[in-house]
Amino acid sequence: MKIGFLINPIAGMGGKVGLKGTDGVLDQAIELGAQPVAQEKAEKMLSHLREIYPEKIEWLTCHGDMGAKALEEASFEFSIAHDAKESPSQKDTLAAAKVLLDSHVDLIVFCGGDGTARDIVSIVEKKVPVLGIPSGVKMYSGVFGISPARTAEVLDGFLKGELGLAEVEIMDLDEDKYRAGEWSVRLYYSANTPFESTLVQSSKMMIEAASDEEIKEEIGEYIEELVSEEPDALFLLGPGGTLEFIGNMLGIEKTLLGIDAIAHGQQVGKDLNEEGLLKLFDNYNNIKLILSPIGSQGFVLGRGNLQLSPQVIRKIGRDNIMVVSTPAKLQRTPMLRFDTGDAELNSELAGRGWFSVVIGYRLSRLAEVSI
Amino acid sequence: MTRNPNAFLKEEYQDLVEKGFNWQLRTLEGPSAPVCKVDGKEVIMLCSNNYLNLSNHPKIKEASKRAIDSHGAGSGSVRAIAGNMDLHFEAERRLAKFKGTEATLIYQTGFAVNQGLIPQLVGKGDIIISDELNHGSIIDGVRLTKADRAVYAHSDMSELEKALQDADAKNYRRILVITDGVFSMDGDIAKGGDFVKLCQEYGAMSYIDDAHGEGVIGPDGRGMAAHFGVEGKLDVEMGTFSKAFGVVGGLVAGSQDLVNYAYNKSRSWLLSGSAPPATAAAQIAAIDVLETEPEHVQNLWKNTDYFKKEIQSMGFDTGNSETPITPVICGESHTAKELSNFLYDQGIFALPIVFPMVARDKARIRTMMNAGLTREHLDKALAAFEKGGKDLKIL
Repeated sequence: MKIGFLINPIAGMGGKVGLKGTDGVLDQAIELGAQPVAQEKAEKMLSHLREIYPEKIEWLTCHGDMGAKALEEASFEFSIAHDAKESPSQKDTLAAAKVLLDSHVDLIVFCGGDGTARDIVSIVEKKVPVLGIPSGVKMYSGVFGISPARTAEVLDGFLKGELGLAEVEIMDLDEDKYRAGEWSVRLYYSANTPFESTLVQSSKMMIEAASDEEIKEEIGEYIEELVSEEPDALFLLGPGGTLEFIGNMLGIEKTLLGIDAIAHGQQVGKDLNEEGLLKLFDNYNNIKLILSPIGSQGFVLGRGNLQLSPQVIRKIGRDNIMVVSTPAKLQRTPMLRFDTGDAELNSELAGRGWFSVVIGYRLSRLAEVSI
Repeated sequence: MTRNPNAFLKEEYQDLVEKGFNWQLRTLEGPSAPVCKVDGKEVIMLCSNNYLNLSNHPKIKEASKRAIDSHGAGSGSVRAIAGNMDLHFEAERRLAKFKGTEATLIYQTGFAVNQGLIPQLVGKGDIIISDELNHGSIIDGVRLTKADRAVYAHSDMSELEKALQDADAKNYRRILVITDGVFSMDGDIAKGGDFVKLCQEYGAMSYIDDAHGEGVIGPDGRGMAAHFGVEGKLDVEMGTFSKAFGVVGGLVAGSQDLVNYAYNKSRSWLLSGSAPPATAAAQIAAIDVLETEPEHVQNLWKNTDYFKKEIQSMGFDTGNSETPITPVICGESHTAKELSNFLYDQGIFALPIVFPMVARDKARIRTMMNAGLTREHLDKALAAFEKGGKDLKIL
């Protein structure tokens, strides 16, 4: 198997000196005494991998701090895909991602944070799965291992062919809002990452692994039934890869990042904002909102869907909100979070501290809600 | 379009063989007994469900033979039409007395109970709440309904209560809660008392699949309800004659209303030929034996306690086992397979259970105790486990 390896050497430097990231503020971070951290995290991952996976790995990486140095340190053999400059920049990450994509690597392992994840996925999209060694200031995206050692274990499982792929979200700071002084994280892309497959007792074998897609199809079948059972209801589908998939199953043009509406089996709204939603509500008595937790932090509301304002949510009501997730994603989402910016509403949504999440065809499981 | 209608048969089978997922059938040459001949080799049997060693009990065999003479080899029909014999009713009457319930119904197999009955108990607008580790036959029964389903973490009664609260708040018409009584991979027992209490509190129907508990747990092997002292409070007690009873057939014990409903609605019961007379007579005789010869259940537990204590003291991890199912955890799949091969060479028949049946790092040899094994048999098996465990560095 061919594995791409990429370090963003400046990732995480802003964190310890109190910056909200390192993008664009590297000089300031260094002035404040920031030290590089990515190299060390990458080496930790690699040395653990050395211990648990003795077989040969075909590594493809970049010069110096962008990968070669760390692989050398862990005595792995590698070849160079991209010749990085002395002080690499975002351009190098993008260029390296392009070369790795064109070299048909089976997986890209990178060391960085949300910014690095976003840069790589902007190039490789869902064509190459990605796995992150956590080293950033912001890590809202779902591609990161819990620690460098855990990342090595995931990689080990991938190399042994034990893992399937799951779709996760790439989140990062909303730069427009940030420039206006607001700290807000939003969804940028969806990506694939290695993940232990969900085991189901299918009708074919006693137990077998189901792919992410098969599970999404099951959830989609259920929602298709609900939509046809309640033709007069307005169904709103929130952002994220799971609902994009389901929206496409329902035959609508589902936006990855937006909220789209369906009624009488037809699309009646696309990428709706708060105003558009409220206007649409005038025509329907029965409104159902279907959401999926976003990113690894489990945000159901408050990240990537700010159009769902407290006013919008109140009109819909807790009982009409359905949360859907693949079991794989739910498993790595220990808590659901409702952050509408309205404390009273948040607590109403949190209820008694758990929410029923749809994880398959008519199948649900309770998940804890952060209060 | 040219089609080869049969090509997939070979292709998919070969795919299973390549992945090592195909079943290799072993052959018993002679009865299922504490020591059997398997593929020509004499082995100590540690993986049958014949817990009480009744499958080869002289009284039960005799009853079967007599029934063939008096009633013939087959029953001639499904029970609903012309295949309902006095022996079938007698077996159900005796079973109800044994279980302490108003009525019982005997199906062709345990699988047929779960597949035939569950979809009749719920439909659209209802919900089934199910333990995450429930047996495949329950899952298949659940699949045949349009009811909603919720799963709770294994044996987690506080999560079950939350799921019940959630279902209650959503105004489902009926709530059906299902659990295995004894979980067959780990040998742990469901929290039956709390389970029944919670179901009663929320007006939910309680359903326990006691396939591995029937004849094994509870006083005189009367099963889950007796074990937890909830006779008459458990709505559906499902079990089987094919394990501890040593025969074959599924069973449902509960109210007369349940039984009337079940036999009029379960398609698996209505559309399968009834049990041959020899089987029905053997079922009756097995109940006789359980009622009059308490030593079988006692020996089963004596053997279980000894084996479990010894294997644990060697340093093997046996998980949460509380029953005659004792998993001997080996770690990786290949280790479990190697240990199983080693045991077979040593004359011990115990099969490995590996991923994806259990977690990747929890591959195991699943042992199932038999009341007919002697101390010498057990010591021989234990010695083989110890040697194999050391050789494979599990110990």
